[in-house]
Amino acid sequence: MDFTWNAEQVAFRDRLRGVLAANLPDNWEAVAGHGPGSAEITEFSKAFCAMLATEGLLTPHWPKAIGGEGLGPWHQTILAEEMWGHGEPRGAQYMNVNWIGPTLMRYGTPEQQARYLPGISAGSAIWCQGFSEPGSGSDLASLRTRAVRDGDTYRVSGQKIWTSYAGLAETCFLLCRTADDRKKGISILLLPMDTPGITVRQIPSIIGEGDIHELFFDDCVVPAGALFGDEGQAWEIIAFSLTNERLGIPRYHLARAALDRAVSVLKGRGAFVREGVRAEAAKAAALCEAARMASYAIVSRRAGGEAIGAESSSARFATVMAERAVAEFVVEYLPEALADAEPYLKMHHQRGIVAGIAAGAAEIQLNIIATDVLKLPREAR
Amino acid sequence: MDLSLTSDQIAILDALDGMVRPYAAMPIGATGFALTSADLDREIGESGFLDVGRDPDLGAVTAALVVERLARLPFATEAAVSALIGPLLGEGTGGPLCVVDAARLHRPLRFLAPGATVVVLGDAVTSFTAAADQVRAEPESLFAYPMGTLLVDPSTALATRHDISPDHVRTHLRIALAAEAAGLLSAALEVTCTYLADRQQFGRPLATFQALRHRLAEAQVRTNGVRWLALKAAATLDAGDAALALLHAQEAARAVTYDLHQFLGAMGMTLEHPLHLWTYRLKALIGELGGRAEQAAAAADAIWG
Ligand SMILES: Cc1cc2nc3c(=O)[nH]c(=O)nc-3n(C[C@H](O)[C@H](O)[C@H](O)COP(=O)(O)OP(=O)(O)OC[C@H]3O[C@@H](n4cnc5c(N)ncnc54)[C@H](O)[C@@H]3O)c2cc1C
Repeated sequence: MDFTWNAEQVAFRDRLRGVLAANLPDNWEAVAGHGPGSAEITEFSKAFCAMLATEGLLTPHWPKAIGGEGLGPWHQTILAEEMWGHGEPRGAQYMNVNWIGPTLMRYGTPEQQARYLPGISAGSAIWCQGFSEPGSGSDLASLRTRAVRDGDTYRVSGQKIWTSYAGLAETCFLLCRTADDRKKGISILLLPMDTPGITVRQIPSIIGEGDIHELFFDDCVVPAGALFGDEGQAWEIIAFSLTNERLGIPRYHLARAALDRAVSVLKGRGAFVREGVRAEAAKAAALCEAARMASYAIVSRRAGGEAIGAESSSARFATVMAERAVAEFVVEYLPEALADAEPYLKMHHQRGIVAGIAAGAAEIQLNIIATDVLKLPREAR
Repeated sequence: MDLSLTSDQIAILDALDGMVRPYAAMPIGATGFALTSADLDREIGESGFLDVGRDPDLGAVTAALVVERLARLPFATEAAVSALIGPLLGEGTGGPLCVVDAARLHRPLRFLAPGATVVVLGDAVTSFTAAADQVRAEPESLFAYPMGTLLVDPSTALATRHDISPDHVRTHLRIALAAEAAGLLSAALEVTCTYLADRQQFGRPLATFQALRHRLAEAQVRTNGVRWLALKAAATLDAGDAALALLHAQEAARAVTYDLHQFLGAMGMTLEHPLHLWTYRLKALIGELGGRAEQAAAAADAIWG
C-alpha cells in the first residue's frame, strides 16, 4: 500500500492549479456561485474547456487513440478534485468527459464516435442525461417514455424530469422504452435537442439556476442511427456509465474544502474556540476523510484494472454522511456565510443536499450494500 | 497512491490467517466474558507477526493490517500496542504492552497483568514491568478484555525512560486502537449478518427486513471508513490523521455496537452467542485516550491549530 502521490501526480496537480489560477477571472467565485447549470458557467465553460483541451487537460484520462493522454483513474481523480474544488469551471461538461465520452468510446458506432467525440474533446459540447421520469425515479426500470421504430426513424413520446443542463444542451443521452420487458425493453437514443417536438421547462430549485428541467417529447422523429448500442442494451450500458458517474464528483473533497473554509472564516473572527464547535468540525473532517479514502480505494482498484461493484455504493454513502455533517456545521455555526459573502459556502449549502439524491438515492445505496457487500438475502417485496 | 496490498502484505496476512485458523471460532461451551488463550498469545509472540512494524519496508501500515486481522478473532490478544508501539521502545520490551496515561491511572486497564510491560505517558515516556503485587485483576470488568488495575503510583516504580515524546506514542496508540476497532467492527458485523440471514420470524429471514438492512449497511460504511483512516494514519504517522482515525473509530463503535445487540434480540444478551466478544471490546475502546472529546480536540488542534 502506498498512500503518497508520486512525483508525476504531484506535478499534475500543481499544473492544474497553475492553469486554474491563470484562467479564472477575478470575480470567479461570484460566477461559480450561480452553479454549474447556470447560463454564466455554461458560457464560461466553452472557452475554459477549449483552453483545457489545448493544454491536454480536458480528457487526459482518455486513451491516446482518441485524443486523451492515457493517464488513467488517478489523474481523473486529481482533475476532478481540482476542478470541483475551484467551483467546477467546466460546468456541465464534467459529465461529458467523465462518462458520456467513455461510454461513446465503448459502445458507440464509428459514425456516432466521429460525430460526438470531437466536440467533447474540444470542450464545446453540452449534453444532458434523460433518465428520470415523473413516475420513475429510484425505480428507473419502470420508465415509460416510448420510442417506436418507424421505417428509418424512431418516434419518441413521453416525459423526463430533473434533467440537469437540459436548457443549454445540444444532445440528450435518452433512455426510452422500445419493448415491454422491464429492463431488456429499454434502449438509448442520442437525441439532438433541436428535434421538433421537444419542450424544455426549467424547474425553479434550491440548488441554483438552470440545473433541473422537465422535458416533454411530443412525437419527436429521429433517424434510426440515433440508437446507441442495440435495442434493449440500455441497462447494461448505463451500469457501465454509472460506475463512472458515481465517482465522478469528488464530493468528499468539496465538503472538506467547504469545512476548511468555514473554519478559516470562524478563526478569522476568533470564533473557533469553543470545544463543542471544534469537536463538530473534527467529526465532520473525519467523515470527509473516511469518504475520501473509501473513494480512493475504489480508484485504486480501477487503476489496477479491476471491475468495480457495490463498494462504490459504500463510498457514495460515506460521502452523503460527510456532505451532511459539513452542511450542518455551517448552518449551525456560520449561518451568515449563506449570504452572498461566501459564494463557495453558499453553493455547498445549496448543493450539499444533492449528494443523497442524484445518481441513485442514499437508501438505494444502502440496499445495494446490504445485498451485494454484506451478502444478506434479498429484501422482501 | 496505490491502496492494494503488496505481495509481501498478502503473504503475511495469508500466513497469519493460516496460523490463527484454529482460533477462528469461540470454543463450544465457553461462557466467559473475555476469551483469551495462552497458546494463541504464545504462538503470536513467537511468530514475529507483531514485529513487522520494525521492518522499514513493511512499517506501521503492515503492522496495522496485522492488528486489524487479529482483532477479528473472538479471542482477545494483545497485538495492537505491541505491533505499533513496540517498535518505538526498542528491543527487549517483552510481554503484553499496556499503555497508561499518567492522567488516567485509576481505571481498569486492558491487558494489565503481572509481567506486562506498563508504558506510562506523563511528561516523558517511561516503562516498567508490572510485578504481581502492583496489579489487581478485574475479572468482573464488563469489557471483553482481560483487565487489571494498577496499584502503584508509576512515578515510584523503577522505570526505564524512553527517548521519545509522549505525543509521538499517543499518535501511534491512536492508530493501533483504530486498527483494532476496525477488525472488531468487521467481525461483529459479520457475525450479526450471519445470524440475521439465518433467523426466521414472520416466515422469512430477519435480514430481509429493510429496517435492519439499512442500519447494517450503514455499519459497513462506518467500518470501512475506520479501516481506511487507520491505515492512512499508519502510513503518514501524522498526529491529525491519527486523531481523526480514532475519533471515527470511537464514533463508529458508539453508533454500531448498540444496534448489533439490538438486532440479536435476547440472543444478544447471552454469553453463548459470541457477539459480546467483539462489541464489549469496542465498548472498552470508546473510553480509551479520553474518548471522542479528546480525539476531536486533538484532531482540531492538529488540523486547524
Ligand atoms: C440535482 C439533481 C440533478 C439531477 N439530474 C438528473 C439528470 O440530469 N438526469 C436524470 O435523469 N435525473 C437526474 N436527477 C434525478 C435523480 O436521478 C433522481 O432524483 C433519483 O434517481 C431519485 O429519484 P426520485 O427523486 O424520484 O426519488 P424517489 O425514487 O421518489 O425516492 C424518494 C425517497 O424514497 C427512497 N426510496 C426509493 N425507493 C426505495 C426503496 N426501494 N427502498 C428504500 N427507500 C427507497 C429514496 O431513497 C428517497 O429517499 C437529478 C436529481 C438531482 C437532485
